[in-house]
Formats: sequence, C-alpha cells, structure tokens
Amino acid sequence: MKVYNPLNIRELDNLISGNVEKFTYVAGSTDLMVNENRWSEAHNLVDISRTDELINTFSIDGNGILIGSAKPFSDIINQQIIREKFPLLVEACRQIGSVQIQNRATFGGNIANASPAGDTLPVLSVLDARIYLGPEEDGKFRIAKVEDVMIGPGQNSLQNNSYIAYIYIPFPDSENHRWYYRKVGQRFALAISKLSLALTAEMSDKKVNEIKICAGSVAPQVKRAYKTEEFLTGKELTNKIIDQSRELIINEIKPITDIRSNSKYRSKITGEVLREALHSLI
Amino acid sequence: MNFEFLVNGKNVSVDVNPKKSLLNILRDELNMLSVKEGCGKGECGACTVLMNGKRVNSCLVPAFQLNGAVIYTIEGIMDWQSYKAMEKAYIEFGSVQCGFCMSGFLISTLSLMNENDNKISEDEMKWKLGGNICRCTGYTKIIEAVDFLSKQNELMSKVKRDFSNAFIEKI
Repeated sequence: MKVYNPLNIRELDNLISGNVEKFTYVAGSTDLMVNENRWSEAHNLVDISRTDELINTFSIDGNGILIGSAKPFSDIINQQIIREKFPLLVEACRQIGSVQIQNRATFGGNIANASPAGDTLPVLSVLDARIYLGPEEDGKFRIAKVEDVMIGPGQNSLQNNSYIAYIYIPFPDSENHRWYYRKVGQRFALAISKLSLALTAEMSDKKVNEIKICAGSVAPQVKRAYKTEEFLTGKELTNKIIDQSRELIINEIKPITDIRSNSKYRSKITGEVLREALHSLI
Repeated sequence: MNFEFLVNGKNVSVDVNPKKSLLNILRDELNMLSVKEGCGKGECGACTVLMNGKRVNSCLVPAFQLNGAVIYTIEGIMDWQSYKAMEKAYIEFGSVQCGFCMSGFLISTLSLMNENDNKISEDEMKWKLGGNICRCTGYTKIIEAVDFLSKQNELMSKVKRDFSNAFIEKI
C-alpha cells in the first residue's frame, strides 16, 4: 500500500503525470471508509485533505464563488456570504449526515462518490455549478456539469486519475430569485434520502420566467426535469398548471425501487413535493 | 507505517496500517477507552472526538490523515475547566443511563457551546445533537441538561477558552 500527501496542486499534478497506478483520492473519508469494497481495493491512497488549493480556496468574484473541492461542508455553510447568497445550499448541506459528518465531508467527495442519494448534487445542478477537473492541461482545468461527472450509481466519469479541483457556483442574477429544497428520509438526522428535490426560479408575481428543477435519490442519475421546466416556463402558476406539472414530473423522472423506497411511493412524493414547491412560489 | 500526532496534549507515535481508524488506534494502541464503537459507520456518534477543534466520528478518520493532528478525548477533556459543570448537569438532570453514548454526547455538547454565541434554541440543539444516538434514556433529559448549560454565559465563555487553549497554535 502507498500513501501520497500532495501539499499543493503542482505536487498533485506531478504525482499524476509520473504514475500509472490507479489512485484513490481521500478528502473527508466519510463515504469511503464505510464502503468495504472500495476501501479494501484502495491501494494507492492520495490524501487531498492537506492539498492547499483544494482545502483553502474560497474566492469570490463579481459573478460567483470558487470553492476548493476538499473543503468540509461546515467550513462552507458557516461563511456569511454563503448564508446570504445561497440559502438553498446551506439548507441542503445542514441536512447531510450530522455535524460530525459535515465537519469532514466535502463537495468533491459527494460528487465523485456518485451516489444517486448525494444530497448536494441536485442543488449544485439547479445552481448551475461548474466542476473544475484536474490535472491542469496547458494551464487549464476541464470544466463540467454535475450531471457530466456523476453518471450512474457509484460511477463517475473521471478517468486516468483526474480529480475534482474546485466547484464554481454563480450568484443568482435576479432580485426575484426564489428557491425550495426538500429532503424526504426516514428521520431528520443521518437519513439517506428517499427523495431530495431542489428548485430555483425567477418569478414575476405568479408568472414563471425561468425555473430549474432537479430530483435526487429517485433515479440512478441525478435528473434535471427539463420537460417539466419547459412546461412551466412562461406560465402563471394556477392550481391547474401545478396539477399538470405534478403528472409531468413523475413521467419524466420515472422513480425507481431500491432498498430505501419503492417506485410507487417515490412517484407519489415526487409529485407532491413538486406541488408543495410550486405553491411556495406563489 | 508510522504516524505522529497529539492526543490530549501529549505527542504520540503509532506504527499501524494506514487504513486503521482513529477509533481503533485510540482504543487498541493508546488505551483511550472512553471512545466507544457503536455502529462503526458514522451514524451513532459514540466514537465522537475532537480533531483540530472540531468534533468528528473517529471511526471515519483513517490513520494516514493523522500526522500533525490535535486530538482530544474525554480522558483529556476531563481536565478542562468547563467539564465539571457539564458532568454535574448531566447527572442532576438524570441524562445518563447506561453511559455508552455519553463520551460522544459530552463532546458534542461542548462543541455546540463552542460554536454558538447566544442562547441556543431547542430546535438548534436537537438538530446539532442529531449525530449522537442514545438507546436507553431518551433525549428529553439530555436536552434539558444542555439547555441549562447553554444558558450560563460564564460557562459558555469558559468552553470557548478551553477550546482555544487546547487547539490554537497547536494545529
């Protein structure tokens, strides 16, 4: 077994270019250590919990915020700017595991681990987050969407030891920005989701100018409900429209059965939670 | 492999498998038996310790991330000024039954008091103690003890002093 401790991105990128063995990146280790198969197969451990840029980056420009992929959730949600600009993110992160978990777990881990029940994934999707993937090539990171990195249960698209360096989240650009988040689980603390629904919208009174809806835990991938979004765009949110969109999202998302819930229950709550979400906008 | 870090203010050096958990290192190598294994999966909070000033599940911290870390368990926290008041409140409110979850609960209680400035609402308390599970006496008496403690301003400052004495400039 080998352990590597890159202290900055330069060391990390050098490590990658000089090696052919398969790396296992470890930040908070909260998912990895409970996954017996992946943990026992990890022979080349790369500790990124001390890689300077990955843990310390938290930089704000006029358009958004760049966050190091290995920064623990509690460091992020305790920042004043995050509380002001991204209450949706705070709400989702504070429902992850427990404070003990939030003190270790990271965005990078939540994305790379690629669990359909990863609670930050639907939120990052509706916030249009961009994922910066290393190593740098010609001085540039590759940029992808959450849905491009998380491609199936436990499967990410990261090849050849590429890694998640940063998450960039643009600031919502309107005063009329609205949001909704709901996680449905067995209990409040420490629950793994049966459904998580994240939504952002720009409204003029009851009219939807723009809406983004993403459901987690209900399908093998984190799914944006593009058809439902399209149906709602430009419409006044009446009871009739809300009822129609409830049917639409169930057909679009096609919830699955697994150990935490079955497709019948998931279909029902996906529709009901969307109804609640849309009512909260008017 | 060899790993060096601080436990309860003392330098320790352990020669273990890099994947060994902090929980098992504390119990097997360092005889810190206040740290309990309940689930081993980061759910029950019985193995909670302080690492670099924050509470973590020690079952989910691998050895290879420990070099230079500052760890506190109840064995060390017992000497903190704020500890006695907390112990007394837990006893007087009848918050303890079998005691297995207590090391974790006491550390989470201290962290909660360290992280908050003002009076902590009952909701906030329940939310932030959600990572610790008790299977005997229930949570009402624990919440009552924590509520009583968090209303004492002087004690809240004492907790913050204890945290900075333990961690600042040592991490």
